[in-house]
Amino acid sequence: MDFAFTEDEERLRAEIKAFIARQLTPEVKAQLIAEREGHGRGPLAAAFFRDIYERGWLGVSWPKQYGGQGANRFAQYIVEEEFYRAAQLVIGGGGTGVPAVLAAGTEEQKRYYVPGSIRREISFCQGYSEPHCGTDLAGIRCRATRHGEIFIINGQKIYTTGAQAATHIYLMVRTDPNSKRQAGLSILLVPMNTPGITIRPLWTIQSDPPAPPKTTYGEPRTNEVFFDNVEVPATCLLGAEGDGWAVAQRGLNLDRVGAWRYLISVMRDEDIVNLIKKDEPPTEGLRQDPRVRDKLAELWTEGQVCRLMTMRSLSLEQRGGRFKYEGSAEKIWAPEHGVRATEAISQILGPYAQLLNGSPHAINNGVFAHNLLGAFQSTVNHGSVQVMRDQVARKGLGMPKQRN
Amino acid sequence: MDVLSDEQEALIQRTAGEFLAAECPPSLVRAVEKSEEKYSKQLWTKFADLGWLGLCLPEEQGGQGLPLTYLGLVLEEVGRYLAPLPVHSTMVPALVLASFGTPVQMKLLERVACGELLLSFGIVERSGRWSTDAIALSGRRDGNDIVLNGSKYFVDNFRIAQKCMVAVRMFGADGGDEGPAAVLVDTASAGIHCEPLLTTAKDGESVVRFDDVRVPQSNRVGAPRQGRAAVDALMDYASVFLVSQMQGAARRAMEFAVEYVKHREAFGQPIGAFQAIQHMAADMVNAVDGTQLLGREAVWRLSRGLPARVEVAQAKSFANEKCLMVCRSAQQMHGGIGFIAEFDLNLWYRRVTSWTLRGGTTYEHRARIASALLDTPGEVRLGRALELPAAAPD
Ligand SMILES: Cc1cc2nc3c(=O)[nH]c(=O)nc-3n(C[C@H](O)[C@H](O)[C@H](O)COP(=O)(O)OP(=O)(O)OC[C@H]3O[C@@H](n4cnc5c(N)ncnc54)[C@H](O)[C@@H]3O)c2cc1C
Repeated sequence: MDFAFTEDEERLRAEIKAFIARQLTPEVKAQLIAEREGHGRGPLAAAFFRDIYERGWLGVSWPKQYGGQGANRFAQYIVEEEFYRAAQLVIGGGGTGVPAVLAAGTEEQKRYYVPGSIRREISFCQGYSEPHCGTDLAGIRCRATRHGEIFIINGQKIYTTGAQAATHIYLMVRTDPNSKRQAGLSILLVPMNTPGITIRPLWTIQSDPPAPPKTTYGEPRTNEVFFDNVEVPATCLLGAEGDGWAVAQRGLNLDRVGAWRYLISVMRDEDIVNLIKKDEPPTEGLRQDPRVRDKLAELWTEGQVCRLMTMRSLSLEQRGGRFKYEGSAEKIWAPEHGVRATEAISQILGPYAQLLNGSPHAINNGVFAHNLLGAFQSTVNHGSVQVMRDQVARKGLGMPKQRN
Repeated sequence: MDVLSDEQEALIQRTAGEFLAAECPPSLVRAVEKSEEKYSKQLWTKFADLGWLGLCLPEEQGGQGLPLTYLGLVLEEVGRYLAPLPVHSTMVPALVLASFGTPVQMKLLERVACGELLLSFGIVERSGRWSTDAIALSGRRDGNDIVLNGSKYFVDNFRIAQKCMVAVRMFGADGGDEGPAAVLVDTASAGIHCEPLLTTAKDGESVVRFDDVRVPQSNRVGAPRQGRAAVDALMDYASVFLVSQMQGAARRAMEFAVEYVKHREAFGQPIGAFQAIQHMAADMVNAVDGTQLLGREAVWRLSRGLPARVEVAQAKSFANEKCLMVCRSAQQMHGGIGFIAEFDLNLWYRRVTSWTLRGGTTYEHRARIASALLDTPGEVRLGRALELPAAAPD
């Protein structure tokens, strides 16, 4: 049992912080935001990423032979945490894309995708959800038919976030037309510039006005993606044909945990305490209010549980272990904490908490209002908290499936 | 960082658990509830003979000198089996002696390690408040003695202990307030009156009155200027090791409930197949796991000598709400039967209800956390430890 980072890890954190303080200028930040909005990469952002890359901070825990640093999961976490805190930049992490390629890819795929992702020349969007099925993913209809050495893809995906900027889509398709449910699904890694792919934006509740930095689910946009006779070589297949469900499971689990998921659930807790500590209008005096003090202490404690559950997941991963129920459990606790915190904070701030980005008198650019719009989304995506509870009960406690 | 138990930790916890599983059936817990002493002497002897009491005591006093985290793990098992043993009430003051005791006081630990010396401690008074400021029992210096006057409430196992560590407010011979201190008192001293209480746990709590009780000055724990630190440590150990017990007990109650719903049928299938029951179970998992993580982090910090008041407060405030929720949900899943006295589940429910109310309530601990958050300079950040301001409420 050890609840501290090592000295080396703390040194790494200090280095990253110093780097960010020096290099992340407002001009760089602006180009990073523009890139996220689909305007391509500006020269300052490119130079910024090159600097990060040269320090070895992209792909910290990925194997050396594919351009990573081969460091442990905690070093990777520290990099992810510091860059997300500083600029909401998601570096490495997650389970879709490279971790899935490392787990299930061929040697050739690893040599192509891993170094490319580390240099940030390759990026994935996730193509799981379809209009008729999200939670119940095994109902996927988008199909890929094999013709010798090629697949032809037809169908539609929805809520494909970041499709406008990604170079590839991590696509779950039905490759066996006669299959049902989980059997007969496969994962294809498809270049987004393949002819026959159409992207249509879906503007979110956060698009007008755009959410300020640090908003939980501040995405202004997600997408629908249509596949019309899209032809790709069979080498796009990740893992065995028909094994897509198994390939995806591990990645989905990793997507449910980690620095990003943790931070989007807890940054509120810090923001509200730091705001109230200033003791300035319009929150002047709240610092002494016993109701506010009690609620903030409660939220803070819940936030600590989010942190410790994240550390538990990393500890499991670092030991090379698999999640039994822990990833799902964390995906209940952290998002629901985010919602509880968001809603409690709004009651603490009163009518100010409804003021959006750009409104006169908005607090912290309206972040608390935008959280009210976004935080609940985290309880739905990537396995809703309902389905996560099913998993904890069944996988963690061995409870039976309901008979129909 | 690795928040999971390592091999040796897991081994020690498993061994303690296996011992108690074999030696401490619910029938023993029931029998002891009805006894005068409220503990099992036989089980105590076996427990001590296996060396569990000395696990984290200094090697010079016959202990094994392991970090405090090991005691936390053993107390999780004590809670799990509701072992009717004065482990908590003995080890909490023993650890204060190990950190602050004079050489003569440290010698006592040899007798603690082998199970010969049972201890108790008194902190709370008539107000029921878990706060150093609420300590009014006076210790007036008089020649070579300290004269104690006042009452301690909710003192666990006072009647079976040979000594009690009492948190007092010291006064000089001239009447000057010298602040809080911990004093060791022989429980057989003249002027002590003990009144047993009847708690939901049906264990051995009492109110203890001290009327001009004289103890030698050498019974004061630690150097004079360490009085406050000794009392703080006494309170922190008391709270955090209750969390270990509560978590172990709540986990066991959850396991009973999960077993039960897998077999109890209604509407043509096991009730455990219904999503409403499964979702309650999933919330129970997060409640006990959350308590475990917070509690273990706090104990770990104490074991490293790091400031841990805030972590202790986090763990106890969370445990109070969540462990009770878990035990109450276990009752809910059992339907009517959990309410029947003969059914074992209520042993767990009754103990956890008591334990949530000792060693600080939710609101008291949150007041401490709030103070560390709001009454200190600078910005806060999760993952960076908080410290209490000097004048924090407690
Ligand atoms: C901003 C945003 C970004 C997203 N990004 C992506 C992305 O990049 N890629 C991608 O593939 N998808 C993405 N999604 C989709 C997301 O994963 C789905 O919305 C999610 O899986 C839920 O699916 P659904 O919307 O079809 O709702 P449904 O599956 O219809 O669920 C509706 C409700 O029913 C509940 N429910 C379903 N089944 C059960 C059950 N068995 N028991 C109890 N309750 C149940 C759910 O919990 C939910 O509350 C995104 C969504 C949003 C809003």
